[in-house]
Amino acid sequence: MKIENLIALFKEDKPRISSNIIHVWAVFWANFKIFLSYKTWVITETISTVASIAMYSFMGLQVDARRIILAGYGEVSWLSFALIGVATANYLWMCISRLSHSLQHEIREGTLEQIIASLIDMKSYIIGQSLRGFIVSGYFMLGVMIIGVAVLNVPLVINLSTVFSFIIIILLMVLSYAGISIMASGLVLVYKKGDPLTFLFASVTEFLGGVLFPLKYLESYPALWTMAWLMPYTYALDASRRILLNGATLFSSEILKNVAILIIYAIVFIPIGLKVFRWGINRIRYEGTVATY
Amino acid sequence: MDIKKIVDIISEDVPRRKSPIHRIVISFIIRDLKVWWTYKFWLILDIAGMILFVVTYYLFSLITTSQQIQEAGYMVGGYFTFALIGIAFQQYVHFAVQSINESIRDEQWNGTMETILSTATDFKIFLLGEVCFSFIVSSALLLMSLFVGLMLGAKVYATPASILSVIVLTILLIASHMDIGILSTGVIMKIKQGNPVTWAFSWLSQLVSGVFYPLKLLPWYLEWIGRIFPLTYSLDGIRLCLQSGKDLTSPEILNNVINLLIFIAIATPISIYVFKKGYDSARRDGSLGQY
Repeated sequence: MKIENLIALFKEDKPRISSNIIHVWAVFWANFKIFLSYKTWVITETISTVASIAMYSFMGLQVDARRIILAGYGEVSWLSFALIGVATANYLWMCISRLSHSLQHEIREGTLEQIIASLIDMKSYIIGQSLRGFIVSGYFMLGVMIIGVAVLNVPLVINLSTVFSFIIIILLMVLSYAGISIMASGLVLVYKKGDPLTFLFASVTEFLGGVLFPLKYLESYPALWTMAWLMPYTYALDASRRILLNGATLFSSEILKNVAILIIYAIVFIPIGLKVFRWGINRIRYEGTVATY
Repeated sequence: MDIKKIVDIISEDVPRRKSPIHRIVISFIIRDLKVWWTYKFWLILDIAGMILFVVTYYLFSLITTSQQIQEAGYMVGGYFTFALIGIAFQQYVHFAVQSINESIRDEQWNGTMETILSTATDFKIFLLGEVCFSFIVSSALLLMSLFVGLMLGAKVYATPASILSVIVLTILLIASHMDIGILSTGVIMKIKQGNPVTWAFSWLSQLVSGVFYPLKLLPWYLEWIGRIFPLTYSLDGIRLCLQSGKDLTSPEILNNVINLLIFIAIATPISIYVFKKGYDSARRDGSLGQY
């Protein structure tokens, strides 16, 4: 072997040029494969999801049907009302916590440095991880819906236009929270401890969004009522319920209003989230704490 | 330097004075408190999360009827008090089932397990020290959730007899669930991942032990499964004391106490056996400190 040839080979300046789409796919696929390897986790989470729906169905037996009319969706059962709330809240929680959770794992396992040092653009990393989050959470949301409709006979309006409208609302809901998720990840990079921001948002969302009770009951508490309608989730949940309980579509006036609000939230929060994330990355690079935990 | 002197000093057999157990336990509590205090934001979130949970069920109770609760024998407070007791006492379930295996997992994760085991601290005292702080935190959260509930209008019978009975039932609740925690720790030390025992126990007991609804609402087969779980008897007893003013002298409460004692008598030797097996096996293959 000629050593000169070897040195020349190493010296060769051949930058790897691959498109961002390939990077996104690589991040997604690597993480999706990890997810598939956690078979026990998937099975246990699936059974837990089924158990929680069963639990809600028993809770529903104690609800006074007349009081659910106050929610403004007509004469619907509490279980159908709650099923949409639980499914969307869980989906949102899983999606927005995904990015910060995976960054925490990378930090703990000491692989963050390699990722940052690689040619992968951090935007591609964020999108790839988020895609994985959408798909995995989608599996659980679909599971909740299928059990609700097929096993518990929850009467939801399911047709092509309602399903399409519901998917769009879910996408907008996730986008409206994407900024917060990215922001939380930026903070995780710097502070290395948990992700209190997503936890806080998940708890407040579940409480103020009216997952288990009609929001009408918050009217007597003006501060809470105002806070509830400041959250994008409230609009997403309202739209989802109007679609799946009353058969409204994306083009119904009350849904269009919710869609517009969700888009505004997405436009405002995503750039802020990206800014915080960039600040986080730059700070740990500057401080030399990329690999520390 | 006189090497002989150094060898003599190192060879010197100075037996370490045994520290009293209470001092070791207090050291563990202070250590955990210091770690916990560094996560102040999490502390605030824990409390905020608990308050939100109680308030959510308060608002949910506004759309429920009290009929099923009264039919189940819980006379005052309606659904909110019923759910509040379930939520509050679940703190102890979480503590008893999770605290030991979470502590061991943390030590394994941080790579400090072997360091601790190589000290003069006995493993049993180490476990006792590890759970004490969790017990204090759970008790504080339980009391806080009860306080928030009472502020929101929950009604309870608070006579000396009913409170004493609740304390006895709570001790039995902790003892019975500690067995599950010890058993799952034994499993974890061997298999190193996941926590199938705790997981299965947690979701099954949430579903069938009547945390959020009376057992009578369940189909007969689930109601029957619910009777295997100690949480069913603990919650029923505590609710009968706090919502119906009963105490240890009433046959319903005594029945719950006997069922809990039977569970403890059966589960304790099994869980200690599984724990010992897992511990010995992990020590034998040198994986006690591994994650």
